[in-house]
Amino acid sequence: MKKTAYSFPEEVLEHVFSFIVSDKDRSSISLVCKSWYEIERWCRRKVFVGNCYAVSPPILIKRFPELRSVTLKGKPHFADFNLVPEGWGGFACPWIRAMAGAYPWLEEIRLKRMVVSDESLEIIAKSFKNFKVLVLSSCEGFTTEGLAAIAANCRNLRELDLRESEVEDLSGRWLSDFPDSYTSLESLNISCLGNEVNLLALERLVSRCPNLKTLRLNRAVPLDRLPNLLRGAPQLAELGTGAYTSEMRPDVFSNLAEAFAGCKQLKALSGFWDVLPSYLPAVYPVCSQLTSLNLSYATVQSPDLIKLVSLCEKLQKLWVLDYIEDDGLEILAASCKDLRELRVFPSDPFGLEPNVALTEQGLVSVSEGCPKLQSVLYFCRQMSNAALNTIARNRPNMTRFRLCIIEPRSPDYLTLQPLDDGFGAIVEHCKDLRRLSLSGLLTDRVFEYIGTYGKKLEMLSVAFAGDSDLGLHHVLSGCDNLRKLEIRDCPFGDKALLANAAKLETMRSLWMSSCSVSFGACKVLGQKMPRLNVEVMDESGPPDSRPESSPVEKLYVYRTVAGPRLDMPGFVWTMDDDSALRIS
Amino acid sequence: MSEIDMAVIKPEMMKSYIWLQTSDGSIQQVEQEIAMFCPLICQEIITKGMGSSKNSAISLPQQVTPSTLSLILDYCRFHQVPGRSNKERKSHDEKFVRMGTNRLCELVSAADSLQLRPLVDLISRALARKIEGRTPEEIREIFHLPDDLTEEEKLEPLKNITDDPRIRLLNRLYAKKRKELKERERLKNVEIEEERVDERSVDDLLTFINGNDGDSKAVKTPKNKKKNRKKKDQQKNPSLKEDSGPEKKELNGHDTCDQSSDGNIIGETSNLTYEEDGTFSPKIDFDDGDMDDGIDPAIREKIDREVEDFARRINSDWAERMQDFLTSGRERTSTLSATNGNGYLRRHA
Repeated sequence: MKKTAYSFPEEVLEHVFSFIVSDKDRSSISLVCKSWYEIERWCRRKVFVGNCYAVSPPILIKRFPELRSVTLKGKPHFADFNLVPEGWGGFACPWIRAMAGAYPWLEEIRLKRMVVSDESLEIIAKSFKNFKVLVLSSCEGFTTEGLAAIAANCRNLRELDLRESEVEDLSGRWLSDFPDSYTSLESLNISCLGNEVNLLALERLVSRCPNLKTLRLNRAVPLDRLPNLLRGAPQLAELGTGAYTSEMRPDVFSNLAEAFAGCKQLKALSGFWDVLPSYLPAVYPVCSQLTSLNLSYATVQSPDLIKLVSLCEKLQKLWVLDYIEDDGLEILAASCKDLRELRVFPSDPFGLEPNVALTEQGLVSVSEGCPKLQSVLYFCRQMSNAALNTIARNRPNMTRFRLCIIEPRSPDYLTLQPLDDGFGAIVEHCKDLRRLSLSGLLTDRVFEYIGTYGKKLEMLSVAFAGDSDLGLHHVLSGCDNLRKLEIRDCPFGDKALLANAAKLETMRSLWMSSCSVSFGACKVLGQKMPRLNVEVMDESGPPDSRPESSPVEKLYVYRTVAGPRLDMPGFVWTMDDDSALRIS
Repeated sequence: MSEIDMAVIKPEMMKSYIWLQTSDGSIQQVEQEIAMFCPLICQEIITKGMGSSKNSAISLPQQVTPSTLSLILDYCRFHQVPGRSNKERKSHDEKFVRMGTNRLCELVSAADSLQLRPLVDLISRALARKIEGRTPEEIREIFHLPDDLTEEEKLEPLKNITDDPRIRLLNRLYAKKRKELKERERLKNVEIEEERVDERSVDDLLTFINGNDGDSKAVKTPKNKKKNRKKKDQQKNPSLKEDSGPEKKELNGHDTCDQSSDGNIIGETSNLTYEEDGTFSPKIDFDDGDMDDGIDPAIREKIDREVEDFARRINSDWAERMQDFLTSGRERTSTLSATNGNGYLRRHA
């Protein structure tokens, strides 16, 4: 007996929807039926656009007229490794202009890997009366003048976070543009700025904002000014220091130690540029309460480093340089049983010889000792299948595993075999693995494992691996949940790509550079798949000046409902029905 | 006793009652202080003076059936008692919403019509929890909603990609190849194991067990190991043996165009045979004379080539184009650079 649908009043359904916040669930609701689609789009307040070219501002605005929060991502991830040439795209301006007109009540803008101009910042500053959150992650194109506009106009600003952005630092004055009456700051991250900010203005700002929880300073803030800042904000939960060095003076030290001791709520520490080890004990009073420690800029050597880390028993997240070495990681494994995320960065990535005693053993120790370890980024110079096997069996709860063996195509250093089996063990045992980065000597077999076992895998990064198209085919045909695939310098060509063309529409994007995909195949792909943008990048000239069989330099394929983009620089061509006309 | 006497002795018995009429027309009496918990009812009593008698019964909105009213009143009865702790209230509410979705839906509509905000809130959260983590199809089922969005509106290119028949064929081929390789490995190991097996005859064993009596009942020659191996091979590949019958029929029954392409494949690579379900499967080579370590990589290579041929063939609409591109001599610029992928190390990458 078919039951009739329950007709709620719309307000009730809206009220139900107001408790459903995850992007995935909102998307599911909107796909249920026409009436739910309509109701949902009017009460959607938050949207995440993983690829700013997958949709256009007018389409977004038309569908969601009442947004309060927008997140956009621009350039592909490999831009972080300088593989995306300057001028490629990811311009925030058209979005900001459109949103300024459509969303006067917009409160939050979060951008990642986008180009943001001072003009855009000025528009934000003047257009949104209730603007609260601005996060510019790995962005570029703006100066401190744009920041001044934000400071001067956004009366309700709560969060200003410039993490890892490239800002043209013209002057530190902009901080003074926050009016004296402004007290609502909760989070400030200026760690990427090059020059000194006006320190007095900073101190006054910090002390008059009672809800300030996060303060990440830049390198130019000297250590002897830190105690004052801390005393002005004893409620801080997250602190990023400036340069952590000064003339060694006992009064400076005790001042600092006292100030740290006063921060009873401090849970996260970062910064630590230019560390003078004798100042490290000043943070010891807060170590036992820390859950997050970012020492990735701290060029501190072993004994001091280990001492610090071993005091942080509640640590959940540790980012550190490889100065920690295997011994330090062993102690980490013994002391920090709550560890969830570990990132070990290389202190000397371009050196030919290892400069520290960090090997696969360090990671094995941590995998053994830390039962909650889920997320790993590990740079090292040697790895073995046996170690990977052990790690996989120790930590089947792993969700993110990124291994970077510094020298490309390094084999198992014990057996000289490819590392296929090791990574195979990782995907086989870690059934919830969502993100994987490969390195070392790898054949098509590793991709067979990944295609067979990587059912929950969402993002895969591959470099200098594989033997043939079979490798790519395994991944595209086997990984049901794949969203992002980025590949460089692999012998993958046309066959696997074209055989799996339909798969690309289920993914956010595919990046292939220095592979063997021919220009002809790109054209075919672009013509066959109207809902994909197939972009070919070639800085040496138009691809049709070479035979169709010659491989393209870089290929970026992504699904879109907005059609080919119109803001491409001269070295990017979109392959579609009109491409024949456009290229001539 | 007179009414007044009773009132003196048990004042709490003299509660006032309110008359309510539900959607089905039936009228019932409800304690006033409980009913007043509902803003709509409260309003009717205070501003319109309704509900004091059966004739002036408050007519409730049509969403309020007798059963939903009963539930709502239970809720009100619990919460209008002042002394309860937050913990108690929360615990009650958690139990209260444990009912089927249909009832929850009825209830939330009714509560909403009575403007009983806290109950609407409670049920809305419960319904939200039923929705979270579910697919659109599942949600449709739960709430009995029509699937009336068009494909375009859904913009669903998210069909399960393994439905693509070409991909399925390819994957089946790989699976069979993998199985074949595994079988070969196993056979190799079995051989090695057999060699380690006790070489004594049954007689010898009996003699040993019986304490070297020297009596041998029957003389059995030791098993011919080579023969055994052959038997095992055949046992392990029953599917292929059986298929040799029907596959021939299929081949004959297939239309000429495919047959010719199949024929080409069979001609080029003798390891492929055509199976009933349209997949290509390998014939196992019984001659294991050339089984030594050096062969496996070559087999792999052969498999790879076969699969690539196959892939090209099944994607025949692109094959012609690709022929043009790929046969006209390839320029391979050497792009091996000394730099690795980790040029600029962003921490948040």
